[in-house]
This record gives sequence, structure tokens and C-alpha cells, in this order.
Amino acid sequence: MDALNFVLNGQKVSYEGSANDRLLDVLRDEYDCKSVKCGCKEGECGACSVLIDGVLYNSCCVAMGAIADRSVVTMEGFRETERFAVLDKAFAEMSAVQCGFCIPGMVLAAEALLSANPHPDEEQIREGLSGNLCRCTGYNAIVKAVGNAAKEGNGLW
Amino acid sequence: MVRYTPVTLEEALRIRAEQDVVPYAGGTDLMVENRKGVTYLFLNRVSELQQISEDDTYVRIGSGVTFTQALKSPLVPDLMKEAVSHIAAPAIRNAGTFGGNLGNGSAKADSVLIEYVTDAKLRIASAAKERTVDVDAFYKGRKQLDLESDELIAEILIPKEGLDDYYYQKIGGRNALAISRVSFAGILNKEDGKIKRIAAAFGAVADTVLRYKEIEKMLIGKTAAEAGELKEAFIQKYADTMVLTRGRVSAEYRKSVCCNLLRDFLDQMI
Repeated sequence: MDALNFVLNGQKVSYEGSANDRLLDVLRDEYDCKSVKCGCKEGECGACSVLIDGVLYNSCCVAMGAIADRSVVTMEGFRETERFAVLDKAFAEMSAVQCGFCIPGMVLAAEALLSANPHPDEEQIREGLSGNLCRCTGYNAIVKAVGNAAKEGNGLW
Repeated sequence: MVRYTPVTLEEALRIRAEQDVVPYAGGTDLMVENRKGVTYLFLNRVSELQQISEDDTYVRIGSGVTFTQALKSPLVPDLMKEAVSHIAAPAIRNAGTFGGNLGNGSAKADSVLIEYVTDAKLRIASAAKERTVDVDAFYKGRKQLDLESDELIAEILIPKEGLDDYYYQKIGGRNALAISRVSFAGILNKEDGKIKRIAAAFGAVADTVLRYKEIEKMLIGKTAAEAGELKEAFIQKYADTMVLTRGRVSAEYRKSVCCNLLRDFLDQMI
């Protein structure tokens, strides 16, 4: 069988392993994308969130066969963007990061939300982040940070 | 290792007929289950299964349509949208499909509850033939489906008429990412002051979604006043008939919640 080709953070890559392998495991173990966290392996926590063709998915619930020829973005790629710089600043200013485990997923969920809706209200932000659990912050600082990023980054999304 | 990623339904059905494969739609249930030694048939590139269309009678939802896609479609009825909007969270709704929700064989499947209450049909395809089956006949028990090893679920057919007057409640442990503990959907249509159609379906309380068409008949043709008088007997009939299983919560709790939701539905809709 041919290797499985996909694009990871803008680079073409070929995966030689099984189509059944879990995207989460492959990203961490094969491609050293350690920003992608394993919290539950059940699609319940959002710590493993990635963008596939710009859409938010839990990488624990994706088998490699489903991403053939598609484009995957993790925090390792997203952090090179102007949008990330805006989100980074907004999270820092609100002290929205404590232990940090949920933050890569949280930021990619924010990116997915703002891409679809550049000016969300608070309820829409909470809905957009509803699949991403955080056990430290109580969410309010994160929600405010995303709202501030939307204002500061006006026009980027 | 082989990898099956067909792009047409014809190709997918041929592989399904010739190989021992597990259909993989969104992956949100399969990857949690994480079965060992299986070969997946990846269906996420089959665009024929990702269409939402309508004919004179039905809204036709392809089995590969995701919940996010359905929420954006003007064709999908509000009742289905309401149920689907409460599924998990955005990332799961981006992946999860109508076909996968059916194929997983769980009575907790939030879209399947709506298919029961609306008398939806399923179009099942194989390389050799096609057939249409009522959703309640498709479910033979928990994880037991009327689906042969060479068949795929192709489309869900939801009748278009009479779905505006509905009631829906999902009881879960939290707002997002909640698996239904009890879910309920009801439809009640009136004509000339009389009940023309009533449907009540209960999810997540037994091996399959439950619906009792015989009991529903008690209220058909009744005026609001007549139905009001029959209400307690009607609810009691459900309480006597329903055999519920224990799950994350007790069977007794489930029955109480079912009867409370049924009463609220009647109070609001009669």
C-alpha cells in the first residue's frame, strides 16, 4: 500500500503506518507535535484539538485514513501566524493561562470560532469553546481574552 | 496494510461487498471504541453521501452529512436542528454524521430520536440492490441493526409535513459534551380543533429508542377538552407499558423523567 500523504503545518508529509492509527498519537509520536495534548481519548476534553482543512476536530477521534490528502494544522504551525500573535497577546493580558494544558486546543478552537464568526458575543464564544475543558481558570478569563482578540484583531478574521 | 478511501458510492459498495470492513464515517464513536484488528472503510470522501436535498415528500439527508452541515441547511427541519445543536460540542459536530449516529446502534443517539418521532425511513444500499426501511424496523436491539455485511446506510428520509408543532428536551449531566440520560421528542398536530397526529419518542432509556403507536391512538381525534380528561390515563398507560433499563442512572429515575416530560409535552401542546 502506498504511504498516506497529507499536509502538516504547510509541509507535505508521508505516513507509512496504519490507516487505523489515531491522528493524536501520530502527531505526537511521529511528528513531534507535542502541543497536541492527550486528555481523554474520548472526544470529551478538546485538549487534542487540531484544524483539518480549517475545521476544528478532536484528533483523538480521527483515524489516519480519514486525513489522506488533507491539511492538518496544530499549534506548531498556527503559532507562526499573525492571528496567533493577537490571540497570544490577548490571553497573556487577561492571564487566561494557568497550567496551560488546555491552551493549544483552546486557542485553535478560538481560531475556528473567529474564522466562522469574527465578532462573536459572549454566549457565542462560550459555545465555540464548549468542547474544550479547562480545570484551572474557570473560563471567564479565556472567554474575555477571545473577545478582546476579536476586537484587537479586527480584520484579521 | 490496505487502506480503503473510496470517492464514489459505487466503489464504496463494491469494497463493502468484497471485504470484511467496518464503515467509518466521522469516527467519533469508532475511535473511542477502538476495536482491534478491524479494517475501516473510510467514507468521508464519498460526496454522494454528503448531500441534503428534498423531494415532494421527504427531506433527504445523506448518511455522510455532518451535524454542523445540517445546522447550516435551510432544508433540515427545526426539530432535527434543535436536537443536533445539543450534541456534544463543535469539534464533535464537525465530525459526527447522521449515518454514524444510526450505525453506532445506540438508543442515546440524539438524531435517531428525531427519526423515530418523525417516522423517518432509511435508504439502504448495496452493490446488488437498494431498499427502504422504517427507522424503528432498522433497530432490532442494542447494537443490532437490520444491516447486512454488504450494505451501507445511504440516506435518511424525513417526512416534511407537520413537523412545526414539536417539543424536545434532552436531559444530560451538563450543558456541553453531555450524553443523554433521558431525551424526549413529541409532535402534536391539530386540525379543526381535534388532535390529528401525536407522536412521542423516548431516547436513552432502553436498548432502542421507544415509541408506542398503539398508546398514541388514545388521543387521536380528540378535542383539547377530551384529551385533557384522558391525560392522566394516557400517562399512566405509558408508565405501565415502558420497560426501561438501568444505565448511568436507575430505571426508576428514567421512568419518572419520561412521565414528567410526557406530561409537560401534553400540557404545552394540547
